[in-house]
Amino acid sequence: MDDLLAGVAMIATFETLFWIALGSILGIVLGALPGLTATMGVALMLPVSFYLPTATGMAMLLSVYTGAVAGASIPAILLGIPGNPNALATVRDGHAMTRAGQAGLALGSAAVASLVGGVLSLMVLILFAPYLAAATLAFGATEKFAIAALGLLIIAAMSEGNLLRGIAMGALGVCLSLLGSDPFTNAARLPFADTLASTPFHNGIELIPALIGLFGISQALLDLARLRNTAGAEPVARIGNVFPSWARLRSMWRVFLESTGIGTLIGAIPGAGASVAVFLAHERARKTSRPVDGEPAVGEGRIEGVIAPEAANNAVTGGALIPVLSLGIPGDAVTAVLLGALMIKGVVPGAALFANDMPLVYAIFLGMGAALMAMFVFQLLGVRLFPLLLRVPLSFLIPCVLILSCVGTFAVDGQAPIKAGYNMAVALALGVVGYWLRRAEYPIAPLVLGLILGPMLEDNYRLAVKLAQGDHLVFLYSPIVLGMVAVMALATLAARGRR
Amino acid sequence: MKYLDALAPALLLAAASLPAQAQEWPNEELVLTVVVPYAAGGGTDSAVRPLIEELRNHLAVRIQISNIGGAGSAAGTNEVLNMPADGYAVLVSGTHTIAATMQGLTDGYRELDQIVALNWDPFIVAVLADSKIESMADLIDAAQAAPGTICLGNAGMGGATGVASIAIDLAFDGIFNVTPFDGGQNLRTDVLGGRCDAGIFSQSEILTNPDDFRPLVILTEDRSLLDGLSDVPNLVEAGFDALDVPGGSFRSIAVRQGTPDAAREAIAAAFAAAYDSASYQSFMAEQGIISTFATLEDAQAYFDDLVTGYEPIVRASGLYAQ
Repeated sequence: MDDLLAGVAMIATFETLFWIALGSILGIVLGALPGLTATMGVALMLPVSFYLPTATGMAMLLSVYTGAVAGASIPAILLGIPGNPNALATVRDGHAMTRAGQAGLALGSAAVASLVGGVLSLMVLILFAPYLAAATLAFGATEKFAIAALGLLIIAAMSEGNLLRGIAMGALGVCLSLLGSDPFTNAARLPFADTLASTPFHNGIELIPALIGLFGISQALLDLARLRNTAGAEPVARIGNVFPSWARLRSMWRVFLESTGIGTLIGAIPGAGASVAVFLAHERARKTSRPVDGEPAVGEGRIEGVIAPEAANNAVTGGALIPVLSLGIPGDAVTAVLLGALMIKGVVPGAALFANDMPLVYAIFLGMGAALMAMFVFQLLGVRLFPLLLRVPLSFLIPCVLILSCVGTFAVDGQAPIKAGYNMAVALALGVVGYWLRRAEYPIAPLVLGLILGPMLEDNYRLAVKLAQGDHLVFLYSPIVLGMVAVMALATLAARGRR
Repeated sequence: MKYLDALAPALLLAAASLPAQAQEWPNEELVLTVVVPYAAGGGTDSAVRPLIEELRNHLAVRIQISNIGGAGSAAGTNEVLNMPADGYAVLVSGTHTIAATMQGLTDGYRELDQIVALNWDPFIVAVLADSKIESMADLIDAAQAAPGTICLGNAGMGGATGVASIAIDLAFDGIFNVTPFDGGQNLRTDVLGGRCDAGIFSQSEILTNPDDFRPLVILTEDRSLLDGLSDVPNLVEAGFDALDVPGGSFRSIAVRQGTPDAAREAIAAAFAAAYDSASYQSFMAEQGIISTFATLEDAQAYFDDLVTGYEPIVRASGLYAQ
């Protein structure tokens, strides 16, 4: 109890609350700008945290993190452009809701979902962190390969009715992800390898520039074409109801719980990542949501399609803290920076932290809770504000989106003009490719999913076989993999049976 | 064309004033970019950030850290090689630069001048705490008894742990299943999860899980400076004095060849002041980092010795690219 009070004392200061508020606003803004990620936001504020007390600094970084995860949904809903990979699965229903004049409702639901997902996963973190951390160690290359393969199955759901095209796009994404260098030997894996090996092509196609190109730039080009055809302004967006009704929220308890569960679990497994979690959560919501009179199906602008990925991505934040705090193992780039922030302060995460410095552990938990509250408050304040963006004439909005997209790609690499220039070229090239693909009605989301899953599939397959001394059947020996396959099969059959 | 005519003299003037500006280092209008060739939060990044923060107190120019990861530190290195040699870009260099250069991923150290030698983070070979393997000799015995079945993990072929794992493997005629992981954190997960028998870790990585790991041997000449790890034997004490492997990751500061002397000297002096600060010294003590501070010619000489020592190991491992 004394520990808890000491933790409260570290967080409940004016200074800490000020930095949490600032971090949260910054996080939401960065998250909403296309291409700027949570990792960049946290890395940007890392030097500031050096000058703050440890608990205050961590709370500030966590508020940037949670803010950036939630903020990404704003452009996804309003413009159809995810701010960063966290909002990849929010685009489909969120943007459809905006087109149906429900921008306010979509943003409000996203805010509620972010809060619920974040708080529930924080509770899991507080109550079960040491046990879950031990459990996540059971997930090795074999199991992560199975998760990635599971991710591939979602392509079917994302194909917007044309399975063959969806699979083709997914395969193209996987192929593009293989370009660059061999992840194990660093050898160049490119056409004209001799000449291109010492150029930025060696980095292959990175996710952020690809995302900006395929979603941001191609969307701008589509809008441009539409502008020429109609020459009229967008219909003025109505904000409408901001909150779903209490009864409607209650009817979605299952979506909330399942998405939070998926997010927390995937977040806790080092190296699995939010992008897979949001797609899985969206797919589960599509499977479990029953038709409601007067509402479209999930995937065509239904509130569940926003709630599920937004609850999942903020649940990932709580999950991702589990291995960092209890094992000192960062699962992704953001938590690596958080770990760095702790280490620089002389705080060594792991079992010793829980044994020796419980006040700091409580302070971190409380800081995370305060960060989630701040995120919710600022998102709600923005709900009536952000849709005003849609009143901006397209002829002005398109250049702005294009410029911001370029800034986003450039910023990924700070002051590295060559790599940044290369990334910008990748974004522009994929923007044009994405424009033509979308005009020809090929779905874009499977392509992005292929890009994300490609390296995960390759790395984990090769590592698993290497660890099994060359046995390619290693995947059949893992009880976790077999269990996952069984659950998937049951879920699919059950869904069929109900129909 | 008219405005072009007007523009030409202005451009000429600007061009003429450029060399004059370069003479005066530091120019407070410009920003010194510190390129860390790894992602933010990694081992290298965490070890230099406190130093760079301290450096801000000793330089008039503004400083920004740029994390450019990729291609086993080669991407960030190439980025520095493509910036002007005007003293406004420095690279966090070290053993990773040697490994990346010898593997042909960058022109690396051949195009760089080392201006500050910083410190070493020692490598430790460790297994799971409840493993049957209790010493380095046990580990070698186990591998010799069943060649190819014992996994010896590293944090990536491009880096110094990759070279170290191959050097150990080659010294015993390839008895290990040498497995590269994507960074130290993934290696740690798989050793803790019992999927890889032994790993070569940076000392700071062992610190977070002292009860879960059993350190077998420290690869540096001296024992660890940390109380908790000071009883870990070095290679000689463990009975492997013939084994020649990289003992840790070394970190330094380098600039492009051709950087003006005034800039090198000013940067080196500022780093020396920052390095001596109480905050950085206590940081190194907490992390058990071994200090090998030197500047300018001494730093270059120290680095050249390392390159000479690395070459046979990298050649023998088959990673050397011509």
